[in-house]
Amino acid sequence: MSGLRVAVPKGAIFEDALRALGGAGLPVGVLRENGRRLIYEANGTEFIISRPSDVPVFVEYGAADVGIVGKDVLEEQEPNVVELRDLGTGACRMILAAPAAKAAEVEEAIDRAEVVRVATKFPRTARRYFEGRGRQAEVIALHGSIELAPLVGLADCIVDLTATGTTLRENDLVILDDISTSTARVIANRGAYRLKNREISTLLDAMQPEGAFRASSPRRPR
Amino acid sequence: MERLPTRKFTTTPGTRDILPPESTRLLKTQDRIRERFRMFGFREVVTPALEYAEVLEEPKLRDASFKLFDPDNQMLLLRPEMTTPIARLAAQSLAGSPPPYRLSYALPVYRRSSVGRGQSAEFHQAGVEVVGSGSPAEDAGTIALLVDVLQTLGLRAPDDFAVVLGQSAFYGGFLRHAAPEAAPQLLAALAAKDFVRVDELSRNLPDKTGAAVREIPRLVGPAADGSVLDEAARYAGGEVGNEAVAALENLREVLAHLDAHGCLGAAILDLGLIGRRDYYTGVVYEVYASGLGFTVANGGRYDNLLHRFGKDLPATGFAISLERLISILPHEEMAPLLVLLGDSIEATRAANHLRSSGVPVLQLAEDLPPEDAARYARSVGAAWICYPASGDDALKLASSEAGGEFFLTTPEGVAGEVLS
Repeated sequence: MSGLRVAVPKGAIFEDALRALGGAGLPVGVLRENGRRLIYEANGTEFIISRPSDVPVFVEYGAADVGIVGKDVLEEQEPNVVELRDLGTGACRMILAAPAAKAAEVEEAIDRAEVVRVATKFPRTARRYFEGRGRQAEVIALHGSIELAPLVGLADCIVDLTATGTTLRENDLVILDDISTSTARVIANRGAYRLKNREISTLLDAMQPEGAFRASSPRRPR
Repeated sequence: MERLPTRKFTTTPGTRDILPPESTRLLKTQDRIRERFRMFGFREVVTPALEYAEVLEEPKLRDASFKLFDPDNQMLLLRPEMTTPIARLAAQSLAGSPPPYRLSYALPVYRRSSVGRGQSAEFHQAGVEVVGSGSPAEDAGTIALLVDVLQTLGLRAPDDFAVVLGQSAFYGGFLRHAAPEAAPQLLAALAAKDFVRVDELSRNLPDKTGAAVREIPRLVGPAADGSVLDEAARYAGGEVGNEAVAALENLREVLAHLDAHGCLGAAILDLGLIGRRDYYTGVVYEVYASGLGFTVANGGRYDNLLHRFGKDLPATGFAISLERLISILPHEEMAPLLVLLGDSIEATRAANHLRSSGVPVLQLAEDLPPEDAARYARSVGAAWICYPASGDDALKLASSEAGGEFFLTTPEGVAGEVLS
């Protein structure tokens, strides 16, 4: 009976999101039905399911009050939303990787501040990373299959997200650097956070057991 | 030979033509806001759209501004907001007269649409600034004016909108006292509304301080029920430093004045609201409306801005975003209008006669058949069409909707129908 509209991301952190929301007593069962519906309603709570990168958009515009999304997406988009809680789940790393055969060469090029070509789904993050190191890069924004880019000569290296590193290994890519770590976050619309503060606080408190204070892994300074 | 278009005849990205009925709504809303501003003793000013780039200090706003160079190669920018131009004006042009200066404006501002999330490159703001008074009564007075404006326009608090109110010096002062080294990082995290980062940083602090660092910015609740203030007072009873204690006292005074204005019910307290980084020095507020994810208006106290222009004047004020405001206003009936057909002397006489009895008349000096006349009337938002009829002062009147039937009447009859 929260009266909230919650944006849930498809894909990798879908199950984590459901566990967190379910743990808080929200009726998430409806979301597991294998329907094609995009909007679900149960006991006064509405759920919308969207691409992870769209979750902050729905929340920023107030089309959803609350959303669950990876920190990687937040760092890339810098949406104007309230970031309320680290769920600690869905952990993955933002990494710089290159083909094993060319890794040394690429690393040397970066060290000499030569311009390297980087393929990524996270152009802002990639640019910020290279600028932060005082290095130069030509960033090529792609929408998927990032690993392909260095294999066919589109790019020298990639900036991408990895959880287990399997895809990287399968494509003979090695990690050159860790850029950041990312976990699932609870975000809220700025207006909803104030106007529906009680409902949102109740939801967060109910999530507490799973998202309780934990020592988060230290982040690399950038 | 047909002339080939050689230019882009569209509006530039982020800008648009505003046509009736939207333009009517915009201008009418501006008028009604101006009237309320006048009721509170504000005098309206108009500043140039162009300012020297140096006038603006905040890097983010400078970034977001359109820039150009004048013939002396000085960098100019199109004003991205109105507070700084008014501060400049107050310091420069009003230097001879006694403060406080109570100034208002209703003008467009400009921002590069690709920067930030703003979709518009040009949008309209209306607001007020009180320059030269540090009194909490002025903070409350401007907030009360803002509530007055919104209520005048048909919005009700707290159902339709709420003023979310914070006091940036409370948390800031507490941090500067209890955790001076972590304060800048914590304030930056909170300005970015990143509570996760605030929590992370708080873990390096002693337990009691860390808990307050986490909990104070999460205090949110209706201003009228006092619980947020009680919680804040509980923290202020401990070791928070003089600045935070003074800030809380200031907030109390503002709330007492709001109560006296009769608009305490419209306020939600949020001690985590500190606004833009390093800008607000006291109360800070944002207006949210249900169903709209963005702020409709925002404002607060900015006592340091005038230093930039060589004056030591405290100041407070707000800006309303008119496009967003209009999007949440209740629907209003269009103003009445009648299209009178004909270019005869009788038609002209009839038009004047009708106007003198208060009917807005568009005289279309053409002989259009009723169907075309009705189509034309609908295109200009007129609900009625009218032809002069034979006989003294006789008129044929019909609704401009499809299938409207004509009936014979007098100018008085027309006035009765159109103005009813």
